[in-house]
Amino acid sequence: MKNKLSRRRKAFIMAFLAPTLIAFCVFYLYPILTVFLTSFCKWDYTNITNPEFFGWKEMWSNYDYIFNIYPYFWEALKNSAVWALLGVVVQIPIATLIALAFSRKVKGIKTIRNIYIIPNMISSAAMGMIFLQLYSPLYGVVNPVIQNFDKGFSENILLLKGPAFWAITGAYIFFTGTTTLMILGNVMAVPEEIREAAMLDGVSGIKQDWYITIPMIKGTLKTVSILAATSGFLLYNEVFFLTKGAAGTYSISYVIRELAITSPRTQFGRANAVAVIQILAGMLIIVAVNIIYSISFKKNRKA
Amino acid sequence: MNRKRKHTAVKSMSKGTKIFTYICLIWALLVALVPFVWLILSSFKSDPLARPGFMLPESICLDGYISTFKDLHVMRYFGNSLLISGVSVVISIVMISMSAYVVARMEFKGKGFINVLLYSTMFIPATALTYPVYNMINRMKLYDTRSALILIYSCSGIAVSFFVIKNYYTNIPKELEEAARIDGCGYMQTWAKVIFPIARPGIMTAAVLAFLNNWNEYYWASLVMIDRNKLTVPALLSTFTTSFRTNYNGLFSAMVIIILPPIILYCIFSKFFVEALSGGAVKG
Amino acid sequence: MKKRVTGLVLTAAMGVSMLSGTTVFGADNELEFYHGYYHEESEWPAAKVMRDIYDEFAKAHADGPVKFKPIAVENRDEIVSAQVAGGSFPDLVDCGTAVPQAAISQGLVYDLKPYIDENNLQDAVGLNYTQNDVDGHIYSVHDQMESRGIWYNADVFEKAGIKIEDLKDWDAFGEAMEKVRGLDDGTYGYAAGQGSGFIVNAILASSEEGRAMIEAPLTEEAVNSEVFAEAFKTAATLDQANGSEHTTEDVGNLMDDFNKNGTAAVLFNGVWNASGIDAGLAEAIQPSLFPGNIAISSAGAGLTVANGMSEEKTELALEFIKYMTSEEVQAKIFTGVQANPCNTKVDLNKLAEESGDAITMKLAEACSMVNDAEIVVKDMNYSWGADVKSAIINALMECAVSGTDIDARFEQLQKELIALIA
Repeated sequence: MKNKLSRRRKAFIMAFLAPTLIAFCVFYLYPILTVFLTSFCKWDYTNITNPEFFGWKEMWSNYDYIFNIYPYFWEALKNSAVWALLGVVVQIPIATLIALAFSRKVKGIKTIRNIYIIPNMISSAAMGMIFLQLYSPLYGVVNPVIQNFDKGFSENILLLKGPAFWAITGAYIFFTGTTTLMILGNVMAVPEEIREAAMLDGVSGIKQDWYITIPMIKGTLKTVSILAATSGFLLYNEVFFLTKGAAGTYSISYVIRELAITSPRTQFGRANAVAVIQILAGMLIIVAVNIIYSISFKKNRKA
Repeated sequence: MNRKRKHTAVKSMSKGTKIFTYICLIWALLVALVPFVWLILSSFKSDPLARPGFMLPESICLDGYISTFKDLHVMRYFGNSLLISGVSVVISIVMISMSAYVVARMEFKGKGFINVLLYSTMFIPATALTYPVYNMINRMKLYDTRSALILIYSCSGIAVSFFVIKNYYTNIPKELEEAARIDGCGYMQTWAKVIFPIARPGIMTAAVLAFLNNWNEYYWASLVMIDRNKLTVPALLSTFTTSFRTNYNGLFSAMVIIILPPIILYCIFSKFFVEALSGGAVKG
Repeated sequence: MKKRVTGLVLTAAMGVSMLSGTTVFGADNELEFYHGYYHEESEWPAAKVMRDIYDEFAKAHADGPVKFKPIAVENRDEIVSAQVAGGSFPDLVDCGTAVPQAAISQGLVYDLKPYIDENNLQDAVGLNYTQNDVDGHIYSVHDQMESRGIWYNADVFEKAGIKIEDLKDWDAFGEAMEKVRGLDDGTYGYAAGQGSGFIVNAILASSEEGRAMIEAPLTEEAVNSEVFAEAFKTAATLDQANGSEHTTEDVGNLMDDFNKNGTAAVLFNGVWNASGIDAGLAEAIQPSLFPGNIAISSAGAGLTVANGMSEEKTELALEFIKYMTSEEVQAKIFTGVQANPCNTKVDLNKLAEESGDAITMKLAEACSMVNDAEIVVKDMNYSWGADVKSAIINALMECAVSGTDIDARFEQLQKELIALIA
């Protein structure tokens, strides 16, 4: 009896996993293996159809080039890491606050909720083009604002080291529509009883959100944090449309494309070495967010 | 199951909370409207660069809209996009909501491995995916067909959907499953009749996300489709940029038109969406 | 369970890898031709002119053993490189940026030189014959040239007291720009950024050593040379004086300032800019060459034929190249597309006069200036590569910010370039 049950259980698990696994194999398995294996190969325009292993002695050649010679790697890694971090520490708090505000009964809330998601419907490429116009030193809206404080200012902010980075950041970080939506979904799912009980204890409003709601939606917060960090880490279109990497704004994704596509020498091997770093760093981000959440909420519970 | 979560009424809020709420709402409106209003304003200007920023247009110029509708076969693009995005969203969401259920609710060996596999897909650069997938599409004789895009869209982005849906499954209390099991439901039935409906909000969120991604996707579309009759909406934008100049009026008009269908769809669905959120959600 | 999962994964992987290794060609009785003129006529009439030219050829060969099938695609360069990575090449394609080196080194591209020589098409293909010669092979023929000089606003020049014939060198150019800024009426010198790349290009062209550098792939020696340093620093100094607010990586962003608003004195753009000039400024805007009687003119990539097709298909593809470079079609490219045709036998001025069209006459003027320039060099983009060029332009753009230490930025650029070509 038990055996039969467990066989049925196994069959069910297999059946439910199969479509996704097949999709994974068809679409991702080959690329992912290629990325890892060819990062140890000489693979560029001279031998595009058959990558050549460097040999054990020189197997790290691509990595050596990326780490020690390629001029934009460290800058790109730093930028991408900061963008990932900003996803967690800026985007998520903003998204959560707005989701909590959206969960309250205020006139017109449904309309605002619908409006807030509009920027997320515009593709990041289109957003890039829009922000290029907003940042234009001659025709944009940002320079006039700066000129209120600094009359003589007439530089192109996209070419200033530092400001250019924040200009790119500003072009995407505040649009948390879909993230807010996910958090809101979970906030709305917190049962009324719990809130009512909290109200009886005199805990309401922001306090209630902080002590009751947030701990209850920590699972979702963790998920959206990972997604926000990931999309920050993989930022590409904003860099492409706003600066093309000028003024210290390279990102990891941008560097990969530069190596593989923009370079006339089609340096697939080196690009894939960066890709391996991207994958590993991505996994690290997921682990880090998991750890941060388990630590911070453990503390919370103790308190 | 019928524990409806009501909005906290404004009256019951303390002054501090009230102010705070309004600040958040004003911020939300501001952030969303700045680019959107700018875009709409610009789309009405015959030369957006001549009257930059938030200046009102001198006179309302509808040329971009007219030419987009008249010359550019908007409806054809919309039809293609709706079909391709819609079908692939359904395929991928059904697929993912099955596997995410198993991973979220059942114990088995290799679960961690599957998690890692799927998560890693998020970080594979498009350049590494391009050639293998392009060649696969060619060999499957799917080149220049809508099926090619449906296949690609169904398989890409599985990680994000998986993440979102799995998270919702995890929130569903164990007792519900057990109760269903005691009522004599098999695994399949438990999932289809009990779990799937409860996780509806999460699944809907994932579907919205996936749909928006597919709707705006241009790279793959321009790579595997060469027949203009089959192309999707982002191709509308590229027609306004030649190597020599950009027609901004047309470009911005087309951008507005492109986001209209998702906005309309979202407004229709959001009703159902919020109901699903407040009606079906259960928490232990 | 784990075993089963791994088993499944492996089976699928084998399936995927078994699928690889076959080449994809169009059908045997059809010659597919990918080109980039997909724009609606209402947006870009020239695209329609090109499509009509292609269709006419298709019609003329409708009864032949192989049919000619032009296909407008948006992303031809990506499609080509995706196919090349899989070991195949489109039948016939009008390459946008460059014929991928990977395709050439794999032998995927047909060598057009024998055909050109046999049929005496040297004049018809013009600049392609010399510029696209790679070790005695010609892999692509572009039916129109990317020819650049400068465009200037004569009204602004007059107001500022500048005579175009005084712009003999870049110092004089710098002084002239200073005078433009001195007008203090919101008019500025030129659209820098992408345009400044051409300044570097043109300065390099002014010396024997520099010209040799541009013709060949970039070397470490070239990066460290005095000539290169001089070219970069001159351009950077001009850019800094010009101001970062007039600097953009895509000259299209500031084109209207010159062509429409008349607020920029100079624009570094191709001859095709003739068709972009606003009617109000048609009198004022004039073409000229870079200081030192220099023009930048590149054949670019263009029509590329796959190797190893059937004889009939290859024949038709070659026939098409002959057709595209024939005087009749070249005349259409000049008057209809408003580009500089590659065929050197086409009498542009005569065509322009016949057309009586003001834009075409301006175009003819610009084209003949470029064609008759003392020194004609190619765009360094084609010999040094897009990654090198974008590194140079990024460095120039950063130098446009006032107060930037140009020498320090140049040293950094040298390191970047040496690393890029490693």
